Amino acid sequence: MASFSTNEFKSGLKVLIDGDPCTIVENEFVKPGKGQAFNRVKIKNLKTGRVVEKTFKSGDSVEAADVIDLDMEFLYADGEFYHFMMTDGSFEQHAADAKAVGDASKWLKEQETYIITLFNGAPLAVTPPNHIELEVVETDPGLKGDTAQGGSKPATLSTGAVVNVPLFIEIGEVLRVDTRTGDYVSRATKK
Amino acid sequence: MMGRPTATKTILEARASLLSGLRSFFEARQSLEVDVPAIAKAPASDPWLDSFTVNDPAGLHVGYLLTSPETYLKRLLSEYQCPMHAIGKAYRANEEGSEHAIEFTMLEWYRPTAIRPFQTMVSEIQDLIETLTECGRPEVISYRDVFEATYGLNPHQVEAMDLVGFASDLLGPKAAASLDLDSLLNVLFATEIEPHLANHIVIDFPAIQSALARIESDGADTVAKRAELYISGSEIANGYHELTDPIEQSARFDEDNRRRELLHRPAVPKDDALIDALTSGLPESYGVALGVDRLLKVMTQSKTLSECMTFTGHL
Repeated sequence: MASFSTNEFKSGLKVLIDGDPCTIVENEFVKPGKGQAFNRVKIKNLKTGRVVEKTFKSGDSVEAADVIDLDMEFLYADGEFYHFMMTDGSFEQHAADAKAVGDASKWLKEQETYIITLFNGAPLAVTPPNHIELEVVETDPGLKGDTAQGGSKPATLSTGAVVNVPLFIEIGEVLRVDTRTGDYVSRATKK
Repeated sequence: MMGRPTATKTILEARASLLSGLRSFFEARQSLEVDVPAIAKAPASDPWLDSFTVNDPAGLHVGYLLTSPETYLKRLLSEYQCPMHAIGKAYRANEEGSEHAIEFTMLEWYRPTAIRPFQTMVSEIQDLIETLTECGRPEVISYRDVFEATYGLNPHQVEAMDLVGFASDLLGPKAAASLDLDSLLNVLFATEIEPHLANHIVIDFPAIQSALARIESDGADTVAKRAELYISGSEIANGYHELTDPIEQSARFDEDNRRRELLHRPAVPKDDALIDALTSGLPESYGVALGVDRLLKVMTQSKTLSECMTFTGHL
């Protein structure tokens, strides 16, 4: 099994801690002038998303986690699994469960490309693109003459996500949304 | 472009002004600036210091790049018996990070004095910081007080087993159990205490961390007469009431090699020239080593050492 020594630690490195795949967020070399060296490391558990701080003796090794990020297109959901297909022309498909998809489920749109994190070959997490364009399927009618003043109302998008939008937005419009914050960005440019 | 400087011009100006400030400080105190070799026959014996070896073009061993100018300064001190200081490069293998570099600038100074050497040293470090920085005068605190405040234990009375539990929280039980008392104290101090030291001189270290400092009993505890300066959570300087007894010095070298063996680290040749200097007579004195790049880092509130050095990461 591959492993990494503390002197190879850097942010983004994927390691296995207590059996869980983790990514190194921050690595700090700590050494008193006359004493033993340690590495203080901030580690994000890729399963739980939790960030913990751990200390290693410098020179110790940690097992590498078989974690890889791949671009895949969303195909469909069958009620139990979400199906994705590699965009490299291999047509290879992967089925992610609800746990792996997590909050990304409300941003899933057919033919859109997502980053699928595989752990030991199975989907572990799904990351949507930072910005996505979705159609409004439900929202209250805009109030006439109330365009100058700010103000917002909820709008339901085609994926089920609910975002706050300006009052002038109407059903059927396509909006650009930031998936990291869930914020409305703009009306999508007509294609 | 590859290989560009890592420090800005502004930082380099601050660095130049710090170096000239340090020189004026010691000149005003009648200290002789000396320039010593960077290569020596024997490296530092400290179990956790790794020295670079120097070979000639034929691959023959020449010596070691020094981790501090200590051996040469003490040899000069035993010969000329006057205050002296050196500002130069020091080298430590396997040390790289936001607070570490394998090649860095060290100021080291020695002052012979028979009158209250330890107290004189502490107040000279305070004077230096008060004069050359805007940090103010460092507060003096004992290792015991600061350790007790965090862990509720007297660091001079504990055994390794008393500390394994605390270290387990940081390292996990297996790694914690593999550490000796020195390393346990170090990891606990470095992670939980050091980050909170804003401008402090910690005095009277556990005897096991004496290195080349004297060991004395203050009645209740046996302590090493060492003083460390910390600013903004960084270790800046390290001072000793120096050991002058050649027999004790020789025994410490042997002890360091014995600990190196236990830690599966290579033994190092004994520094006979230093023992000779002590035999011919090292005056009662104190010595302080100060990391110039680290001091500049806290003075300029830089995030990494690399921002304070002309080049890093170039090798």
